[in-house]
Amino acid sequence: MRRVGLREWWRQMQYIGDAKSGVHVGTDQFGNRYFENMNGEEEIPGRQRWVDFAQHEYHASQVPPEWHSWIHHIRKDPPTNDPVIKNLTPPWQTPWMENLTGTRGAFKTYNTVAPKFNAWEPKTVSRGA
Amino acid sequence: MSFARQAMRVGLSPRFCLVSASGSSLTSTVIRSAVAQRRLLHSSRCSSASQHDPSHHDHGHEQHTESLHSDMKLLHGRYPETPLYSDLNSNVNVKKFKTGERAIDKAVHLFFLTEIMRGMWIVMENFFRPPYTIMYPFEKGPLSPRFRGEHALRRYPSGEERCIACKLCEAICPAQAITIESETRLDGSRRTTKYDIDMTKCIYCGFCQEACPVDAIVETQNQEFSTETREELLYNKEKLLANGDRAEAEIAANLHADHVYR
Repeated sequence: MRRVGLREWWRQMQYIGDAKSGVHVGTDQFGNRYFENMNGEEEIPGRQRWVDFAQHEYHASQVPPEWHSWIHHIRKDPPTNDPVIKNLTPPWQTPWMENLTGTRGAFKTYNTVAPKFNAWEPKTVSRGA
Repeated sequence: MSFARQAMRVGLSPRFCLVSASGSSLTSTVIRSAVAQRRLLHSSRCSSASQHDPSHHDHGHEQHTESLHSDMKLLHGRYPETPLYSDLNSNVNVKKFKTGERAIDKAVHLFFLTEIMRGMWIVMENFFRPPYTIMYPFEKGPLSPRFRGEHALRRYPSGEERCIACKLCEAICPAQAITIESETRLDGSRRTTKYDIDMTKCIYCGFCQEACPVDAIVETQNQEFSTETREELLYNKEKLLANGDRAEAEIAANLHADHVYR
């Protein structure tokens, strides 16, 4: 509390539910800020990495995949200075979308092939009269 | 007499016994406390059932029953010198329980709720300690690079899609969640026209990514793809390719981290 200040402490208690302070490791393209505190006496193992979401309506899937692998402790280094992540990012990679379920952007499935069965369309020959 | 009142008197009687054991007017209470002790002994009979007293003389039906032998000895048709469990009085494990807690001590611990109080004290201690909880959307638990989450179809670094419609994943899928249809493309290569995964059927066993010869179908580390409706979980090819396009860096990094074990 003494390190982050009274105002930030109050915000964190309302937000995360616990007062945390650490090194600002990086910010992703959405503005989510990522922190780390490797001091074992201040943070118990498993709680040393956390995210401060940019949006007020935060959701766990707003973390992009590169930072997702960092915050899940899959990769040691943050993607800003992880050579493996940097080398393996292709130029055609598309921006991350959060889980849009419950909104109008939700995925709606459709068939990718032409239908196998079609309704019978009767072809009538006009009677000569 | 109702059962509740009887239980209350049994509960109070050991305290009377402690306060004044030499009261002439309280003889009835002492007798009643003795009854209470007797009852408590009865309730804890199972723990003392194995103690067999040699001075206790009603061997009535124990003498008729055969003593217990190892069945291997019975199998060979001869009895050992000493049957099993015959020396209970010299057994150290049994002797240990002969000088245990007295019934009156048990009753005091039971009716003054001392164990409850000790438990509550531990609860209060932990109330003032920092929590071990991982505050989920902000902090997340560790995952393996082999974690099997949402599926994705990958592309080659050139941007060409990897899947060659060999249908091995469709064949191995134990839940039969994958449906594939293929056609020959204009340049002569065989590609899928339909690659559907029913994520409501999928059991996330990872056999599809094990079976894939070109590492096309993978399970990403994304586990936050829960939906509100069931229809959103019927993934088609475009959705799977989009998943792969978004998470390609993470997928490739995980495969790179794991390739030494393959």
